[in-house]
Amino acid sequence: MNPTDTKTMQSATADPDSADAAAPAMIEVENLDFFYGQAQALHDVSIRIPANKVTAFIGPSGCGKSTLLRCFNRMNDLIDVARIDAGRIKIHGVDIHHADVDVIALRRQVGMVFQKSNPFPKSIYENITYGLQIQGVKDRKQLDEVVEKSLRGAALWDEVKDRLHTSGLGLSGGQQQRLCIARAIAVEPSIILMDEPCSALDPIATSKVEELIQQLKTKYTIVIVTHNMQQAGRCSDQTAFFYLGKLIEYSKTEKIFTNPAQKQTEDYITGRFG
Amino acid sequence: MSPTPSPSARPISEALLNRNRFRFLGLTPGEIIKYFFNGNAVVAIVVLALITIFLFREGAGFFGQNMQNLRIYRLAGLEYVDFIRRQVDEHTAMNRALNESRLAQFNRLTAAGRTVEEVNTALAPFDAFATAFGDSVEDVRGVLSDLTEVATAIKQKDQVNRDRLEQKAMLLGAGKSDEADKITVTPVDFAKETVTLKGTFPACQAANQQFAGKLQAALATAPAMPEAKLQKQIDTVQAQAQALIASLPEIERQMQEWKHDAPIPLSRSFTSFLFGRQWLTASFWQDWYGIIPLFVGSLLVSIIALTIAVPLGVSAAIYVSEIASVREKNFIKPCIEFISAIPSVVLGFFGIAMLGTALRALSQVSWLSWFPGFPMSERLNSLTAGCLLALMAVPTIFSLAEDALNNVPKHFKEASYALGANRFQTIVRILVPASLSGIISAILLGFGRVIGETMVVLLCAGNRIAIPNFTEGLGAFFQPVHTMTGIIAQEMGEVVTGSIHYRALFMVGIVLFLLSLGINYVAQLIVRRYRISIG
Ligand SMILES: Nc1ncnc2c1ncn2[C@@H]1O[C@H](COP(=O)(O)OP(=O)(O)O)[C@@H](O)[C@H]1O
Ligand SMILES: [Mg+2]
Repeated sequence: MNPTDTKTMQSATADPDSADAAAPAMIEVENLDFFYGQAQALHDVSIRIPANKVTAFIGPSGCGKSTLLRCFNRMNDLIDVARIDAGRIKIHGVDIHHADVDVIALRRQVGMVFQKSNPFPKSIYENITYGLQIQGVKDRKQLDEVVEKSLRGAALWDEVKDRLHTSGLGLSGGQQQRLCIARAIAVEPSIILMDEPCSALDPIATSKVEELIQQLKTKYTIVIVTHNMQQAGRCSDQTAFFYLGKLIEYSKTEKIFTNPAQKQTEDYITGRFG
Repeated sequence: MSPTPSPSARPISEALLNRNRFRFLGLTPGEIIKYFFNGNAVVAIVVLALITIFLFREGAGFFGQNMQNLRIYRLAGLEYVDFIRRQVDEHTAMNRALNESRLAQFNRLTAAGRTVEEVNTALAPFDAFATAFGDSVEDVRGVLSDLTEVATAIKQKDQVNRDRLEQKAMLLGAGKSDEADKITVTPVDFAKETVTLKGTFPACQAANQQFAGKLQAALATAPAMPEAKLQKQIDTVQAQAQALIASLPEIERQMQEWKHDAPIPLSRSFTSFLFGRQWLTASFWQDWYGIIPLFVGSLLVSIIALTIAVPLGVSAAIYVSEIASVREKNFIKPCIEFISAIPSVVLGFFGIAMLGTALRALSQVSWLSWFPGFPMSERLNSLTAGCLLALMAVPTIFSLAEDALNNVPKHFKEASYALGANRFQTIVRILVPASLSGIISAILLGFGRVIGETMVVLLCAGNRIAIPNFTEGLGAFFQPVHTMTGIIAQEMGEVVTGSIHYRALFMVGIVLFLLSLGINYVAQLIVRRYRISIG
């Protein structure tokens, strides 16, 4: 991991004040302004996301959480009208919009799990191996190993090991979402982005995914968007609160939930709006 | 009801019952709208039913008439004569092959710098052989022409009788019974008439013997060819001639066993239509209504059209839905859809005036001569028509395939990109498989569009009613054909209403109708069955 450069952050909320400031940042965002056409979705956002921690993004709908998340693997490139006007995003210290950055390689480093579970209409096995096959891996033995390892990593192996070659769409909602996580970790990323991964799941499936997130954190840096306050409280180390495209407060999770610095944060957490 | 109603408000019960609503013929506006759309749907269904009934009513009579046609063929002894005619026809075909071979040799030698006289002397042995070969059939030909006369006479007599009967029936129908009585009809005694035919059997046998002997002698004089390719042609003729000689005893046996009144199975009437390899009308001898040449023609033209249109249409759809920028999309889509606005007669005109000539000129380019079937002998052929039909199928395939691609849920695409796939991989591995059912049904509907198209094939397919010679491999695609749609458009104007020819055309129409129905049905089935797997 590259040492972070020591440029001072302009935004007051850039660093989680009480977070171990020495911990190397995996993702650094500096003064990001993001637009969809004429509409500005992110205003001067700066944030440092530490490695091997779970960072939660919370905030009312439409405040730009997904937009920021999708900046990290440049998924917004797919949207014609999306554009970044100012600011930088660095991952491992590398500016991801630098001309030499290969977006394909970036996306292999930064995996993503979507709000709606979206396994391909293919078998479970093919879903997991897709990311490797497009890299040209053909060796059957290697693929078999990756499938088992990824499914075990996603705590799904025992449930599906006898039906690897049946359609991924035949699984339950929670299993599908864990399949998507397995698919993401099969290409061995260092960061996993999750955009409201549990919003369509029932409480039991949700708790399984949350448990999984705790296990994954030892190996991966995780950024999770959620609108479920309890979920953020239960499984994240850091929490960032966004409001109207601005980062309002970013701090250790206990601090945000017990002693927020900003009035807006407190109002949101206590349910007075949002 | 509210206990303290304000004086201005009507009681609720009053508000619920609206007695003076607008009504027209006792119908409320809602009902009128409902019946209007309902009525339109009913009209569509009724029209479809009427067309179907009409088609089948007009076509159904064909089988009875065809049966009659086949019966006369046997009763009047035409079938008997055709045993011999077949030998002559086969011989003629071989003779043609020999003529072609001579031409090839001639060209080869003149190209080598010899003068015409020199070439002719060099080819003298071959000419002697060819003449002997050609003359060997003379005896059989003589017998054939005698027999043809006899059989034609019998058929004619029967036809005259039939006309008289019809006239009589008409007069009777009009109440002029005394005039009707004046017309006498003596039914043809086929047994007696065909005796003359069968009586010629010894003469036939003698002629065959002569034929076999002379042919055998001629074959023995076949000169060796200077080139392997030419030698192969001659060898083929040799083999065919030997096979013909060997088949003579069998033919004679069949002639002997032939009976004018042997029963014809009813199914023959169907099979001779569905599997008949000849469509021959208004012939002096015997009419045949076999759909195969037309069916094969339609199919061949459609295959060419789809081979061109499917890659074009599907790729364009992929480009527009996945790769093109908004501006490109707004330009390309209307352009392709505009193609379908070109009247087909204009396309046909373009085909005759430009494309046919251009394609033939291309086929005559010397460095392309290795291509099978090149140079093309005809300007208008399946390829010319197929190219234009492809143009007509592209908009159909493009629009439907594009819809199918757009219907693939966006999250499949995102998941693929998020795993580090590039655009090409996402298209090939995710988008196309996920929309495959839609793409296949787009292709099927394009096929339906092509097989039902008339004007272009009528103008550009060359209109030769014959099954293409598939032994030429790819060359079969450059031969003129006739199609099911083309034949109906061409002949329907000339036929007598109610005649067998008229009904045969209706039968062709029914086959087309069922084919299109089948294609559409399968396309819908595919879309419905696999829609779930798209997501
Ligand atoms: N593809 C898009 N095109 C235009 N505007 C968008 C697009 N996606 C999101 N937005 C807008 O950007 C803002 C932030 O959206 P988003 O990041 O999805 O919010 P969140 O995930 O916090 O609910 C919203 O106002 C939304 O309407
Ligand atoms: Mg969102």
